Amino acid sequence: MCVTCHGFDGTGGMGPPLNRPKLLLAPDEAALRNIISEGIPDRGMPRVRRVTENEMRQLVAYVRSLGRTNRSPVTGNAQKGRDHYARLGCAGCHIINGQGGSLGPQLSDIGRLRGADYLRQALVDPGAMLPRGTLPVPARGYVEYLPVRVVMKDGSEVRGVRLNEDVFTIQLREQSGAIRSIRKTNAEVIRKDAGTSLMPSFKDRLQGAELEDLVAYLASLGGVQ
Amino acid sequence: MTYLVAALRRPVIAAIALVGLCGPAVLAQVSYQRLLKAESEPQNWLTYAGSYKSHRYSPLTQINKQNASQLKIAWAYQMQRAGVVETSPIVADGIMYLTEPPSTVTALDVRSGRPLWSYTPDIPRDVIIIGSPPVNRGVAILDDSVYFGTVHGHLIALDAKSGIVRWDATVEDNKHGFYLTLAPLALDGKIIVGVSGAETGIRGFVDAYDAKTGKLVWRTYTIPAPGEPGSDTWGKGDGWKSGGGSTWLTGSFDPDLNLLYWATGNPAPDWNTENRPGDNLYTDSVLALDPSSGKIKWHFQFTPEDVHDWDANETLVLFDAQIGGRARKVIAQANRNGFYYVLDRATGEFLTGVPYAKQTWAEGLDAKGRPIRKKGIAPTNEGTLVFPNIQGASNWFSPSYSPQTNLFYQAAREMGTVYYKGEAIYKAGTAFTGGGGRAVNGDDASGAIRALDATTGKMKWEFPLLSPGFTSLLSTAGGLVFAGSQEGNFFALDAESGKPLWDIQLGGNVLGIPISYAVDGKQYIAIAAGFTMFVFGT
Repeated sequence: MCVTCHGFDGTGGMGPPLNRPKLLLAPDEAALRNIISEGIPDRGMPRVRRVTENEMRQLVAYVRSLGRTNRSPVTGNAQKGRDHYARLGCAGCHIINGQGGSLGPQLSDIGRLRGADYLRQALVDPGAMLPRGTLPVPARGYVEYLPVRVVMKDGSEVRGVRLNEDVFTIQLREQSGAIRSIRKTNAEVIRKDAGTSLMPSFKDRLQGAELEDLVAYLASLGGVQ
Repeated sequence: MTYLVAALRRPVIAAIALVGLCGPAVLAQVSYQRLLKAESEPQNWLTYAGSYKSHRYSPLTQINKQNASQLKIAWAYQMQRAGVVETSPIVADGIMYLTEPPSTVTALDVRSGRPLWSYTPDIPRDVIIIGSPPVNRGVAILDDSVYFGTVHGHLIALDAKSGIVRWDATVEDNKHGFYLTLAPLALDGKIIVGVSGAETGIRGFVDAYDAKTGKLVWRTYTIPAPGEPGSDTWGKGDGWKSGGGSTWLTGSFDPDLNLLYWATGNPAPDWNTENRPGDNLYTDSVLALDPSSGKIKWHFQFTPEDVHDWDANETLVLFDAQIGGRARKVIAQANRNGFYYVLDRATGEFLTGVPYAKQTWAEGLDAKGRPIRKKGIAPTNEGTLVFPNIQGASNWFSPSYSPQTNLFYQAAREMGTVYYKGEAIYKAGTAFTGGGGRAVNGDDASGAIRALDATTGKMKWEFPLLSPGFTSLLSTAGGLVFAGSQEGNFFALDAESGKPLWDIQLGGNVLGIPISYAVDGKQYIAIAAGFTMFVFGT
């Protein structure tokens, strides 16, 4: 089940790639074993407890072998990618090292947290790749940055990304940055637009090698080569 | 006194309530006779589920449909340490007895919420708790003692006035994975408990202890030894020795039939049947026991040869019904496997079984209530998606039955799990599960509070929940159903329509089990959320 987040052969996905010579949080066998059995709850990694000692030994050995597979899924030029990032105005919605807008997720160490395939997909079809369970709020397993459209009983409309939700209320952040707290009994319609994103697709705005360059730049963030 | 509609017609009970008005001069003894008639003194909450019938129903009417919207907090009590709080308090004669994680008992003054005493046993640092969080679901009270189980496998009796230990019995060795999370059930001179531990491959049992001395009176294993009836359902090997069948939730009791009902959990290892071919009696079953000897009078198995960890320990609710023109004494359960069952509780005869939540593993139930399994639902190395999920469509959390509406209220978990098969090697005190699962959670899961016609299981209404939480319910004669959510909501629904009448955000997962009581002529609702016990009144 590790595949779901870490990708086949540990190439990464919504979770970090594991096919690296050294894993930052699990530099040795004991640390890796500890992470597998305890999880990283505030980053969405569940603990894996229901394995036998034998299965655990095999799992640890396999994950550690991935670092020797020497795959490099990133082919673009990170320096050029950085220029595309600036030109396309990505900083309007994303923070890198403290600079930028905060409507979307911060990208300061996105290269450490996500695999290249995921980053590529997020640029081409952002709605298909909304992260889930990577932030402490809303809660484990929930889609983050989920676009929601609410039609209030008075006919007014609110659009934004979901910050949180419970049985009786939902909290949204509008594109303007304003926070809206809505009591569900006051809403006529609450539409959760799963599969979409407020972020536009950059499929047609990145020519030729530009997509790979931008992926290379993002993959480099967080000190990953 | 307006809250005591039933009591006004009963002078004896009204007199008891009057004592409450002045503050108890003498702490009353909670005799077995009082437990038998627990519903007749609704100002108290004397057993885990409110009565031996396990209705979790309060006859109090002061808080009702008309004034529920005015509910406000009366007091709160913060637990001494963080942890998972799944307690159902007992209220007796002005004192609330609650349990705190992992195995602490605290007595509170119900008027002020101030602690009167608290007791915590020495729990070894290397205590083995595999299969659930380190929780405790409550105490039992009988005469002048309160009884509770611990995560290190003990049953302890405390003096109800002081919290001083009267006796401390080792139920079974925690080194082998036995531990206790349930509220014991007090009968006439006996304390009944079961154990957790199927995920370490225990052999489950139900125990009865002498309430005065702590001496074991009888033990009934939930898995027959070779040669005993049912032993042929375990194959030829030693699978029965580590076969699970835990007994981790409080049972119910019918004093007229003199039958004690106790439900059992999953076979071990959970997701791998190689070493246990067969039905695996009496796992995932309800047992009707003779309370004086522990002898099994009848059994009914919900999930034969379970391979999804669908323990049948869920609360067993007793009520009387007209079925096919005939008066029947029945026992009902919303099982973790997604089906709602009604059985004749004198004989164990299967009467009704219908799904109350999404399930993808059975075509239905046959005439005897045995599931007709679909193909391709067993866990595999690659994973098999099946509904309900590992924690089930229901679980430890309490349903409620209202004799006023004849509805069975149940929180249903709409969630699937990708089930994996793994290897299973038994080693005492370690996980013996043979696989695992990946939950299909977040926005892909949900929950609902459903009101089922108790006799037919047909849904009358539902109230949607954002997520499949662990929501215990309380229904009241005021026409209300109280419920919580994983996101911290606590609310009151109209018991007849499901319409929400009041809600509050408590700021922590509502894992507590609600009860109601009255003191000084005022009704209250108590519920634990996060690490806090909250009490509400109008």
